[in-house]
Amino acid sequence: MTALAFSPWFLIPISLTLFMVLSYALLLLARNLNWNANNQPVSLVDLVNQKLPQTQCGQCGFSGCRPYAEAIVKGEAINKCPPGGKFTINSLAKLLNKAAIELDPAQGGYTVPTVVEIREEECIGCTKCIQACPVDAILGAAKLMHSVIRNECTGCDLCIDPCPVDCIDVIPLNSSTPLRWQAPAIISNPDHFIRPGNMT
Amino acid sequence: MITSTTSSLIASCSPQQQAKITTGQIMLWVIAACLPAIFLSTYFFGIGVMLNIVLASVFALSFEAVALKLRNKNLRTNLLDNSALVTAVLLGIAIPPGSEWWLILSGVFFAVVIAKHAFGGLGQNLFNPAMCGYAMLLLAFPLDMTSWHIPVAQQADEPFSPLSLASMQTSIQFLLPAFATDSVSNTLNLADGLSMATPLIEQKMAGKSAIFAIFNSAGSWLDLLRRESGAGWELVNIGFMVGGLFLIYKKIISWHIPLSIIGSIVLLSLLFYSENSVNTYGTTYLHLFGSATMIGAFFIATDPVSAATTPIGKLLYGVIIGCCIYSIRVWGSYLDSIAFAVLFGNFCTPLIDHYCAPTIYGHARKRIWKPAN
Amino acid sequence: MKHSFFPATSSSKKSYYFTGGIKPPANKKRSLRSVIMDTPIPEFLYLSLKQYSGPDAIPVVCVGDKVLKGQLLANAEGELGVPIHASTSGTIREITNRIIPDEFGHEAGSICIEADGQDTWITRQPITDFKSLGPELLREKIQLAGICGLGGAGFPTGKKFSSNKPIDWLIINGAECEPYITCDQALIRENPETIVSGARILQRICRALHCVIVIEQDKQDAIDALGTAIHDCEIELISVPAKYPSGSERQLIQMLTNQEVPSGKLPQDIGVLTANAGTASAVHNAVINNEPLISRITTVCGDALKTPKNFRALIGTPVSFLLELCGIDYTSLSRLIVGGSLRGFTLKNLDAPIINTTNCLIAGSLREFPPAPAELACIRCGSCTDACPAGLMPQLLYDQIRSNESAKAKQYGLNDCIECGACAYVCPSHIPLVQYYRAAKSDLAAQKLRQRLSAKWQQRFEVRQTRIRLNEKRKKGSRRRSLSRPEGMDVTDTSLENFSRENAKQQIADAVARVKARKNRTPTNTQVKTKNPGEGKP
Repeated sequence: MTALAFSPWFLIPISLTLFMVLSYALLLLARNLNWNANNQPVSLVDLVNQKLPQTQCGQCGFSGCRPYAEAIVKGEAINKCPPGGKFTINSLAKLLNKAAIELDPAQGGYTVPTVVEIREEECIGCTKCIQACPVDAILGAAKLMHSVIRNECTGCDLCIDPCPVDCIDVIPLNSSTPLRWQAPAIISNPDHFIRPGNMT
Repeated sequence: MITSTTSSLIASCSPQQQAKITTGQIMLWVIAACLPAIFLSTYFFGIGVMLNIVLASVFALSFEAVALKLRNKNLRTNLLDNSALVTAVLLGIAIPPGSEWWLILSGVFFAVVIAKHAFGGLGQNLFNPAMCGYAMLLLAFPLDMTSWHIPVAQQADEPFSPLSLASMQTSIQFLLPAFATDSVSNTLNLADGLSMATPLIEQKMAGKSAIFAIFNSAGSWLDLLRRESGAGWELVNIGFMVGGLFLIYKKIISWHIPLSIIGSIVLLSLLFYSENSVNTYGTTYLHLFGSATMIGAFFIATDPVSAATTPIGKLLYGVIIGCCIYSIRVWGSYLDSIAFAVLFGNFCTPLIDHYCAPTIYGHARKRIWKPAN
Repeated sequence: MKHSFFPATSSSKKSYYFTGGIKPPANKKRSLRSVIMDTPIPEFLYLSLKQYSGPDAIPVVCVGDKVLKGQLLANAEGELGVPIHASTSGTIREITNRIIPDEFGHEAGSICIEADGQDTWITRQPITDFKSLGPELLREKIQLAGICGLGGAGFPTGKKFSSNKPIDWLIINGAECEPYITCDQALIRENPETIVSGARILQRICRALHCVIVIEQDKQDAIDALGTAIHDCEIELISVPAKYPSGSERQLIQMLTNQEVPSGKLPQDIGVLTANAGTASAVHNAVINNEPLISRITTVCGDALKTPKNFRALIGTPVSFLLELCGIDYTSLSRLIVGGSLRGFTLKNLDAPIINTTNCLIAGSLREFPPAPAELACIRCGSCTDACPAGLMPQLLYDQIRSNESAKAKQYGLNDCIECGACAYVCPSHIPLVQYYRAAKSDLAAQKLRQRLSAKWQQRFEVRQTRIRLNEKRKKGSRRRSLSRPEGMDVTDTSLENFSRENAKQQIADAVARVKARKNRTPTNTQVKTKNPGEGKP
């Protein structure tokens, strides 16, 4: 062993430090490896789809919510969903780090939540509305009475056009919306908060 | 009959009554509690401190008004919350008497505009504004900030009072050097002369208590009030302590922060005091009453915006500040360390608030950082 | 169920404590100067079908019917509903929407009775000994009598006491901690025996091991009256320090048993049930005297009144009637508060009728309730944290809500807020904290509902898509029927695929054409709305 000019005792703390650093790094690595152990890989399209209201009404110009979600991921504007309203635009803006813009006026204005009801005296049992409903909220069969299951109706209004006898009414939902308290005026004013990427 | 009156009924949300105390009143009580010490300081050292405070208040209110206007806030309600006034009073006390007006101006500007409004205004500032201003001045103008210019007797046997007309004139001339006479200007340009340091600065904790000296040499109470006894600074600190205890009694501040600051300083000073190295480690008494600890513990560190919020958090905050005060004083190179210690405590406040939150009812003694869901 | 150490007896007056709380001025003296007054019968009574936040009752009478006092007017809908009984005899004038005194200013269906002044009761069958009836029968009796929580929430008592969980403690809550309200104190000091009897009935229903009655220490007259009334029972009388909100259910349980009700759970999950003192008295009336809930004690107080007092008011009495009985000065009335001064809400329409849960009416003058000062910035003084009985940090929640981070506020315990108002009471910057929390809570609730609905609709949509695809595969493989696709149909559009059916009738085609001509909607994107002109099979 060569004669060392210095005593090697300081190697002890150095090696201890190295050991601690290495083990911590390994721990982090191991944690990252197990990151998705219990989770399904979630695609961006799925995440965007989750933010949409799922009424499948097509007012955005796409044939349902999932096609619109796919278009958004490809760069489509996020302000095309009237049933989602401000809430959907804001949550999409937050998810995709874009500006929260106003609803596209070409899609019509913000809509009140509605359901439909069939006037049973006039129904002829043609099943057109049943075929049109994207969530199977209409009960019935050929030549038998058709009824809307109110709790399942999304208010997409897709059944109204196919009905040959125009016997479907649109009913605004006032009483089943949850009771809402109004925030104090200082934050109800949308101009109050100006944060980047979250313009109201 | 009924419908004609119902339209005039007020609609309001609960609770329909509030406690009578307002933010403006709280700040005024804090200022009021400083007054005994300010009067004592004036009695012993001249009107310099009062001039500081008046000038600082004028500057602070004007800067605050300008800043509020720039931020489109309602001037009337926001000026009346008196927070700028408290900053000005504390800064005026901290800046040595006999300082020139531009020192006060820059300190107040930094405190009110930069340290408070640039961070978001009242309630949003991370650091104590008065201490930010003081720290900036200390770093930028170290010589001016470590020397007191107060009127003293010209001849040894002449009857002298800091409150005499001549002394008042001298104090004003210190403030506004443009009006200074030749004799005063000469002394301002000298490093010593009329200048006197605080006991802490002069003796670096090696001094003895003047009050004890008086009583040990069979003096009477009246001797305390004689300016030559040198007990002025200690009496001023006792005044601050009395004011602080009054604030605790009125429930304006809570006892946690002062107790933990004073307690940790007492503990550390008892631990490290030794007769041999008396030049470095001072006695406990001197740590508490020979320096700015009292004002720091009761008035500066208890600033609600930058201090911790919960009782346990306040105790921890006070311990951190107390340890910093002692360490910087004894082992550091800054002579009076309140400002830096409080600023260091402000750094720690968000973390303290996060970890010292109370347990929520019904969450089985879980702390907030492990959320229930 | 493990017993916790229960130290207090009527002599020792010792109890645990809850953190926080405030001591506002009580303002109870004026209304306690006189005894409870029975109101004269008003000309019209409006019985609201919506007595609390549960389902509305369903009327069983029609306009023009003559009813007797105590007669059933509306059936409860389901277990969570409350039945409505006539408060006096008379004729049903109308059944229309009318404003009810709740926080939202809702209107609900109300049955209007025109009193005939006779005040004739239906036939009642009083009993002498409630022990002759079994617990389940007793519970049904109070459910049919319409007894609900008279302390504030109005939850049906029969439903509350219907759980099969083992109950250790039944707590009768006579701690009226909120300023201005004195109805429970007046009831206890005048009719303590009804409360004791009601407590024993409730104890029999829920089979509780122990029963205690709780009162605040500053109500000495009520304590003495109750002490005399329970001298021969096993019921204990506990007096707790007068602090707001000691009458809140969760804080009361913590004070008496040193246990906390876990977040999101009910007191019965830890073996405790509470009932208001007024509810106990109503239970006694329902079981022993066979009288349904048709009246309640209401405190009417405030500076705009000449003589504030407690009334035994008939449910459905208009608020203005009671105010005039106390000599109200309408010119000095500036705020009418329903409830106490800390949790009460304001009422603008004085024609609203009393409902089951209207425990207090404060006719406030401007001097008594000056307008709230402007909201200033939060100075982080921590008074709210010190005052919060639920162990929250109100300033932190406020900061998060104002920063549009309500979800984070939920994580920090927003849903554990009991909305007592102590934080907003002590705030020196006059920030309406409770309003922020309520708005944030309702936003979060709406968001949750929205997400639940979206998830449900998405699932139904995907199930339908799968079914359509499977059917299509099956039909493609089958040779029995050919699927002729009509012209103009977009075959790539999978979301609105229509199965074409043969045999379109001409009149249907005509009807479709008529409908199309009649509608003048802005044409939506034709890629989505595919029509089958003349293609549908009926």
